[in-house]
Amino acid sequence: MKKLALAGLLAVGLTGCSSEEPQVLNLYNWSEYMPQEVLDRFTEETGIQVVYTTYDSNEAMYARLKLLDDSAAYDLAVPSTYYVSKMRQEDLLMPIDRAKIEGFDQLDPDLVNLDIDRDNQYSVPYLWGTTGLAVDTADVEGEVTAWADLWDDRFDGRVMLTNDMREVFHVGLRVLGYSGNSTNPEEIEQAYEKLQELMPSVRTFNSDAPRMPYLEGETDVGMIWNGEAVMGRDTLPTLEYVYPEEGIIAWLDSFVIPKNAKNPDAAHKFISFVLKPEISALISEEIGYATPNLAARELLDDAVASDRASYPTPEDMVNAEFQTDIGDDALQVYAKYWEMLKSGQ
Amino acid sequence: MNRWLPRTYLTLVYLLLYVPIAVLVVFSFNESRTGYDWGGLSLRWYEALFNNRAMVKAMWNSLWLALSAATISTLIGALTALALHRYRFRGKQVLNGMLFVVMMSPEIVLAISLLALFLLVGMQLGYVSLLLAHVTFCLPFVVITVTARLSGFDERLPEAARDLGASDFVMTRTVLIPVIMPALLAGWLLGFTLSLDDVVVSTFVSGPSYEILPLRIYSMVRVGLKPEVNALGALLLVFSLVMLILSQWILLRSRR
Amino acid sequence: MHNLMQQPFRTAVLVLVWGWLLFLVLAPNLLVVGASVMTRSPGTFISLPLTLDAYRQLFDPLYLEVFLHSLYMAAMTTMVCLLIGYPFAWSLSKMGKQRQVLLVFLLIVPFWTNSLVRTYALKLILATNGLLNSALMSLGWIDEPIQMLYTEGAVIVGLVYLLLPFMILPLYSVFEDLREDLLRASHDLGAGRWSTFIHVIVPLTLPGVLAGVMLVLLPAMGLFFVPDILGGSRNLLVGNVIKNQFLDARNWPFGAAASIVLTLAMAFLMFAHRLSKRRIGEHGV
Repeated sequence: MKKLALAGLLAVGLTGCSSEEPQVLNLYNWSEYMPQEVLDRFTEETGIQVVYTTYDSNEAMYARLKLLDDSAAYDLAVPSTYYVSKMRQEDLLMPIDRAKIEGFDQLDPDLVNLDIDRDNQYSVPYLWGTTGLAVDTADVEGEVTAWADLWDDRFDGRVMLTNDMREVFHVGLRVLGYSGNSTNPEEIEQAYEKLQELMPSVRTFNSDAPRMPYLEGETDVGMIWNGEAVMGRDTLPTLEYVYPEEGIIAWLDSFVIPKNAKNPDAAHKFISFVLKPEISALISEEIGYATPNLAARELLDDAVASDRASYPTPEDMVNAEFQTDIGDDALQVYAKYWEMLKSGQ
Repeated sequence: MNRWLPRTYLTLVYLLLYVPIAVLVVFSFNESRTGYDWGGLSLRWYEALFNNRAMVKAMWNSLWLALSAATISTLIGALTALALHRYRFRGKQVLNGMLFVVMMSPEIVLAISLLALFLLVGMQLGYVSLLLAHVTFCLPFVVITVTARLSGFDERLPEAARDLGASDFVMTRTVLIPVIMPALLAGWLLGFTLSLDDVVVSTFVSGPSYEILPLRIYSMVRVGLKPEVNALGALLLVFSLVMLILSQWILLRSRR
Repeated sequence: MHNLMQQPFRTAVLVLVWGWLLFLVLAPNLLVVGASVMTRSPGTFISLPLTLDAYRQLFDPLYLEVFLHSLYMAAMTTMVCLLIGYPFAWSLSKMGKQRQVLLVFLLIVPFWTNSLVRTYALKLILATNGLLNSALMSLGWIDEPIQMLYTEGAVIVGLVYLLLPFMILPLYSVFEDLREDLLRASHDLGAGRWSTFIHVIVPLTLPGVLAGVMLVLLPAMGLFFVPDILGGSRNLLVGNVIKNQFLDARNWPFGAAASIVLTLAMAFLMFAHRLSKRRIGEHGV
């Protein structure tokens, strides 16, 4: 009897996996990072069903794609910045056939051909954003213009940092005048010592929804992602997004096709579909982050397109740095100091 | 005096347990996007929820998975507890040790090691892999609950049953099972709760063919408590309460 | 005759149980042990040669501190759960049989709402702009909001809220078995309430207490999202360290070694506790 039940369960499980018709696109993406309307319209237009599966960190996505390898059933994923180069170097990706992609030439020239993927052989930009300073002007007197201002005594216990090892060290390194992508153990140690001075002021770390501590009234100043700042302003109009003098942290999320994708054709079609100006514009307005698609930017609502938080001016981007893959050995150094920082040593 | 003291205490604890849930239900009707201000009464989050087909499908997947995982783990867990309690066999300590290891393993370790195992034996990731993983981490909870119940149990009862000619199987069914029934219920409930709630292990051992609710909720909640999630919580609560009242009503009627 | 009848059942049970545990517990854990003695590798997570480096790294006093802090938080949580749960389970067992089932379900129903969602609901209550502070202020009991969120207290409140049923349910299942006639006998023999409690009720419910402590203490060590959400990620607990090692730092041997040492340390604690209990028992009787 039990065997029968098990066999039954097995059958249910298997039929779930081996759907005969090839017209399914398995999209592996951040949660809430694609409006349902876009998926529906894609299905309407092409007849391809989209199965949207989510992850909550680059690390988890990477570990899974890497472990699953051959049995990976994902046709499209959306890693951030340097994870593209990392996955590419480790041979986890399939080259993208540019002939099958429409609308690539509308992309912002500043956001293609980056070091993470020269000539964009393996990736197509989806959305991009920055990590900068948030200031609640209702509670903060005087100017805040630089990362270094966070160390100011007046912010004791009112500072928020993102819960992201690389970003927090990026700030520490930039304040000392080093690159945010430093792999030099001495520089990292100095950044750790600098950040240690900041720790008593830090009320909380948050990388889930960094706008929330400001809305909750727990913190007044600190780090935030630009999209979160825009969202937070709806409720807290005094929340301001500042581009720090030392330079902002920039990131870019790109479409990639895993090496063992079952339906790369559908993946190509989906990328082209998203690159349509009206679709890119829809996504940007709904999700709150900036689209790299210049044609789409013209379709945006004026209030959105002229919002400096979402679409920075060239001056804002002076000193801006994209994160790069720092390699495994430097990562261990960071991780160690991060643990020490967190445990108060 | 002895009557109202327990009642007052129970009521108090129930109140505390339900306060956060009540907050959640109230805010599910909040027009505003963030949880900290009241934007007026609205059903928009329920509408958004029902329009989210993937979410509804994930909910059914989750319920089915939790039901099956809780049932199978209660079955195997109860048998394990009985075997530990009744039989003499080699390796009892090893068996106990393995259960302890499951309880103690951080979720991420369980997740990656199970995934590695499934990949080694070439198993497709989907319902079956989720089920195996969920049953495994629910198992020690059932075993410990049932063992606690059995250790207070009068040893002479099974002896008597055997003297009267009952086989082990018959004895188990007629004497032991009724005795451990409350523990079975408790174990099943713990298993159901754990399975419905698991994120980390499921993240790793699920495939695109079988997405479950906690994964969706987890990633949704992390980007700032979305009101849809409140609506979902409220719906689940109402659903369980209705089921509860219904089962009580059926029970009462069948008694008459 | 009896033996013939009971052998197949016994065999079936043992095969099922052993089979399950060997395949789904022993095998994956052997993989963990294997990983812990390998070398960290950027391309494949782990690779040869074999080494004990990961264990050596654990000797850092940093990790001892993290372990002790986690243990302290988990122990506090367990104690609060026991203090709330013991009288609760007792009271529950005094209700009418039919009502008991209903009450048990009522206890568990809130827990079917995702734990993360409930943790965020707690955050709405505890925040500086939150409901509790607003309520206290409008009552005039306090003038300034109290800082409750992002404190150790908030983490313990969260852990207790999530783990309470794991204490109550095993306790309930032993209280349910507590026979009235024993209590009456104790009373008839002249024992007072307190004396009955110490000499009759506590020993009889001890298995339930031990089960409850196990079910709360062990998971409390590994829950990482509660300290993250309610503690503001300022508290580094064991669960966070291991998760970070696997995902962020990608140092699998170290994560695996930390997990193994954690398991062994907790097993040792439980074992030592049981031994000391036994010795006290011998002296006491």
